[in-house]
This record gives sequence, C-alpha cells and structure tokens, in this order.
Amino acid sequence: MAIKSALELQDVCFGYTGGLLLKEVSFAIAPGELIALIGPNGSGKTTLLKIMLGLLRPRSGSVTLHGRPLSDYPPKSRALNLAYVSQQPSSSFPLTVRELVALGRYPHDGRGRLTPAGSLAVTNALHRSAAKHLADRRFNTLSGGEKQKVLIARALAQGAPILLLDEPTLHLDLYYQIQILAALKRLCTEQQSTVVAVLHDVNLVSLFADKALLLRDGVLHSFGPTSDVFNEASISDLLGVDMVAVGGKNSIRCFAPRQPFINSRGN
Amino acid sequence: MAASVAMVILLGLSIGPVPISFFHMSPAEREILVDLRLPRVLSAFLVGGGLALAGAIFQGLFRNPLADSYLLGVSSGASLGAAAALVLNLASPLASFAAVSVFAWVGSLGALALVFYFGHRAGSFSILRLLLSGLGVGLFLSSLVAVFMLLAGDELKALIFFFLGGFATSSWDTAWVALACIPAAVCFACFYAADLNVLLLGEETAQTSGVRSGQVQLLYAIVAALLTSISVSVAGLIGFVGLIVPHMIRLISGADHRTLFPLTFLTGGIFLVLSDAVARTVLAPAELPVGIVTSLIGVPIFLYLIRNETGDWV
Repeated sequence: MAIKSALELQDVCFGYTGGLLLKEVSFAIAPGELIALIGPNGSGKTTLLKIMLGLLRPRSGSVTLHGRPLSDYPPKSRALNLAYVSQQPSSSFPLTVRELVALGRYPHDGRGRLTPAGSLAVTNALHRSAAKHLADRRFNTLSGGEKQKVLIARALAQGAPILLLDEPTLHLDLYYQIQILAALKRLCTEQQSTVVAVLHDVNLVSLFADKALLLRDGVLHSFGPTSDVFNEASISDLLGVDMVAVGGKNSIRCFAPRQPFINSRGN
Repeated sequence: MAASVAMVILLGLSIGPVPISFFHMSPAEREILVDLRLPRVLSAFLVGGGLALAGAIFQGLFRNPLADSYLLGVSSGASLGAAAALVLNLASPLASFAAVSVFAWVGSLGALALVFYFGHRAGSFSILRLLLSGLGVGLFLSSLVAVFMLLAGDELKALIFFFLGGFATSSWDTAWVALACIPAAVCFACFYAADLNVLLLGEETAQTSGVRSGQVQLLYAIVAALLTSISVSVAGLIGFVGLIVPHMIRLISGADHRTLFPLTFLTGGIFLVLSDAVARTVLAPAELPVGIVTSLIGVPIFLYLIRNETGDWV
C-alpha cells in the first residue's frame, strides 16, 4: 500500500498585493518524516509554513489535509491535526511552565480545567521535550534554550500528528540545537509524527532530517531525501556561498565554505 | 474573599457624617443608608472592580502588564463621549444617564480603535509605541473635552462636577446602570479567559491552537471599553486601579486569566471602596476626589514597576 500523504500542496501561489512570494509550490508530506525547510533569508520559508498551517490562504492552488481542503476544517479540528511553534514570543507573562504547556490542550479540553487525560498529556509532553525538570518554574525566568523546549512541549501537548516549527534552533548553542533536533527525530520515529522545521545549519540538517525541502525566491528548488538533495552544487546554489563537502560517513555529508572564500574575507 | 468583600462593604456603609447603628435604625437613618450610602458603596465597588478588570483585559490583549484604560487614553475617549452627550444635550431626559453611558462607550471604543491603529505595527505592539499612542490619543481627546467645556455654557457646572469624579453624587440613578452592565461584562470576561490565556502566546499560535483569535480580541476590546465607559460615566476619571490591582493579583496567584479575572474584579472593588472611604474621611467634612487617592497610591507603584521590572516587556 502506498504511504498516504498527510498534507499536500498543489501549485500553491501566494502574494499579499504585489508580486508572488510563493510560486507554484507542490509537494506532499507523509507520516513519520522529519523534513527540513531550508533556504536563504526572504525565500518564503515562514510564508510557506503559514500556508501549511492555514494561517494564510493561497492566492491559487490547493492545500489538502488528509485529502480534504485545509480551509474546510474548523479551527479546533485543524488544531487537532496541525501544531505550530512560532519564533519565540517577545513578551511573556509569569505563567508557570506547566500552565503554559497546558495551553496546548485547548482544542481538547476547551475552556475548562485540565481533564486527567489532559494532565497526563502535559506530563508526557514535558518528558518528551526534556523539560520535565522545569515544570514549576516561571516561563519568563528561563533561558532561551529552555524556553524553546517548553514551547515545543506546548505544541506536543496539543497532540497533533503534524508539527511545524519556525526556526526552533534560533539563538541556541550547539548543545541545545542537537537536543531539540534529537527530540523532534524521536517524535517521528516513535510516534509516527510528521515534523517540518525551518532550519539553517546544513550539517545538522544532514544529520537529522529525513528529507529536505529547498526553497529559493519562492520557488521549490528541490525536495527529497536529504542525502539525494544535498550535494556541493545544490547547497552552493541555494545558499549563494561556495560550499565543499568535507567528509562524513555513510550517506551523511558535511559541508564547509570553500577556503579561498574565508581567506578573501580574512585578508 | 467573599467575607472580605462583605466586611469592606459594611465598613463603607458605616462611614459618613451621620453615625448609624445597623441594629436600631430610625426611618431617617434607614433612608440615608439605603438611598445615599448603599448606591455609593455599590457604585464604588462595581467601578473599582470594573476598572481593575478592564486593566487586566487590556494587559492580556496587548500582552503587556503596563496597559490600563487610563494610560491607553480609553478613559479620555469615554470622557469625550460623555461630555459631548452632556453639552449637546443629546441625552434625553428620560434615560439621561444611560444615554451618557452609551456616548461614553462609543467614545472609548473610538479611542481604543485609534490606539490600536497607531500602536500596532507588523502584528505586534511594542510597549513604547503602545503607551506613546495611548498618551497621544489621551491628550488629544482631553483637549477636545476642554473645548467642550468652553462651549458648555449652562452645562459647565454639570461637566466640572462630572469630571471631578468620585462618588459624592452617586445615587440609584447611576448605580443601576453599573449594576446592569458590569456584572454581565465580568461573566463574559471570565467565560473566555482560557482563550485569552492562549492568546498570550501570540495571535498565530492561538489560531493554530483552535482559538478564534480575531473574534475573541474584538469582543474583549468591546467589553473592556464598556467597563471603562460605565466607570467613567459613574465616577469620572479614576486612574491606576487597572494597573495596580491586576499586578498585585498576578504576583499572588499567577497569570492564568481564569483566576486572575475574578480575583482582580473583587480586589478592585474592595480597593476602590476603601479608597472612597479614605477620600471621605481624611479631610472630613470636605471630600477628596477619589481619583486623587488612587493616583497617590498608584503612581509610585507604576514608577516602581518601570524601575524594577526585570521582564522583557519594558
């Protein structure tokens, strides 16, 4: 049996008033995949994520969730299917971590207090994103990396099979970047969740992502298994920096900017 | 909490130029208690609770603990609406106070729309832009109020009386409007509190969590403007209740709006009944406008917050 796609975009075009920010983007994502969405600044990554979430409506083309147009889903049932981790909110009230993660239960428990099942989901979400020890801390007193883990836990508590994240590793040191990507990877393998994350570090993408979705100037440059899509030419072309493969094992390749580039800047 | 509300209301009822024993009341004393003191204490309680709740709502809506109807200029909008109704004699004699309240509501919604427009950029409100917009809108509308006062002629005395504020003129005529509107607004605010909790994470996160964020924000804006305008209609401009009370409650019970809203309402009510008691007694037999009492307490707390808050929202 063919793997059923969870979310599918067909010829999606989007623009606010002037030119198009996304041009005829088509792809489908399946359960259990960790997909990295990469591309230069301004290439339309966040816009694409918002289209996939139904926050923005395409000017033309279609977005379907389990074969049904995404726009047909009422807000709550959309939230039961798709969860979002935006770039960190700038302001924060003194909610405790547990209270904040419990906000993810809104589509399940509505306006009332947490049900026992909801409470369990919150505990599990904290556990899975390695944030359990933070449960009773106030969110606004946490470090950037801790906050990110908590925000991911909130999305996990939502229990949606598809998770979309906008730069979840922004401002984090390497240790936290790896912790977060490992947690997302586990989610895909253990829960058969689908994760789409905007990422910038091509080497971490090589290490963790099953597939890579390369976007440039609003056009889908390429989409496929990371080991197929990533090569010196495609990466150099995408990032506008001359990149060279520097080793790595099996199908995992690592890339670095070609030396003269560094020298020319150094001198 | 209920016990402290009852105690404070009893205290408010017992203060006044005529000493009244609750147990052996003459008909005259009963009249003073029921027709003068009861509407006054009730108005103070509802207005205090209403202003505090409006502040808490604005803080949640703008995701910023420094928002408040007074600082956002919404109170000035309500004053302008009320002044327009009084000066232009738009208020029909039958339900004049209700009409003034409706005009005040329209004024406060207009002010809020302006603050929204100027304070908003690229989907977010920076505290600086928000407070400056509120300050600008508030000053502009206050100037218009001054123009109305110059034009007022015969109504000038009524206007001055109105804006001096306080509860000296409270009667059942004004109290019933507050009694009809404010409890309903409180129920609404508490019912949707969970939605506002999710909105603390930003509009997009709220939308993807299943909250109809646009609707919820609009409804809360209308309700907070209603609370502000009823309060201004009943008691004139009273500042800082909406700032101090929610902040205090947040320190004690956290930021969950489901507990924050009811506690803020009750505490705001208690705070203003006590402030009114102070206003009535410190210079007795003269009365201090209650807004002066709340500002004397509120401004130092506001400045303290600006100086010492370590959060990332200033």
